[in-house]
Amino acid sequence: MRYDVTTGPIDARELEAAVAHPGAGAICTFTGIVRDNSRGQSVTHLDYEAFAEMAVPQMRHIGQEIKDRWPGARVAMAHRTGKLEVGEVSVVVCVSAPHREEAIAACKWGIDTLKESVPIWKKEHAADGTYWIEGDAAKPA
Amino acid sequence: MAVAIGVRVRLFARLREQAGFETEALEVAPGSTLGDVYDNLRRNHPALEPNRDVVRGAVNQEFSDWDTVVSQGDEVAFIPPVSGGF
Repeated sequence: MRYDVTTGPIDARELEAAVAHPGAGAICTFTGIVRDNSRGQSVTHLDYEAFAEMAVPQMRHIGQEIKDRWPGARVAMAHRTGKLEVGEVSVVVCVSAPHREEAIAACKWGIDTLKESVPIWKKEHAADGTYWIEGDAAKPA
Repeated sequence: MAVAIGVRVRLFARLREQAGFETEALEVAPGSTLGDVYDNLRRNHPALEPNRDVVRGAVNQEFSDWDTVVSQGDEVAFIPPVSGGF
């Protein structure tokens, strides 16, 4: 299992290789990408900040829960921090499982839970100003 | 009995910018809770978010309730709602 918070580019293929094994018939990979718009405004770039010493254990906790809920699953997750331009990969969640149903369900649960509980924040640089995104709220920075 | 205990406070994202620091040593009364530490911090840094409902506390990298009692040497972090992902 692999859980990273990194300032460098994330290679989804590398995470897939980390979860691949002969008993896994399916690998589901979710890739999150910086979008050029948010809340009706154009976005120039994002800054991601992490509480890394807590984010990595929190990711490991999600991975463990996936393994408990979907026996046979293997998990890898990576989140990037620092300045990211439109089109760059911010997060990858990768799950292998014996069959596709488990791989897809576990991957969806993994990214949903990561967004709710892993201490990472984004600061959005938009056409109308700079905002800290907090859950569903955008607060002027 | 000690008259004060020392904790290390860490702030992140918007809270860090409001207070103007990332990490600070703070002395609090023995028996202080996580909530007491935050209130104490707000007295020194009035710009810090007044609504505790939008802040979560963590002690030694574990999310903790506001009534958790802190101990000498604890790392106490305050964080806004998270927004990782995409």
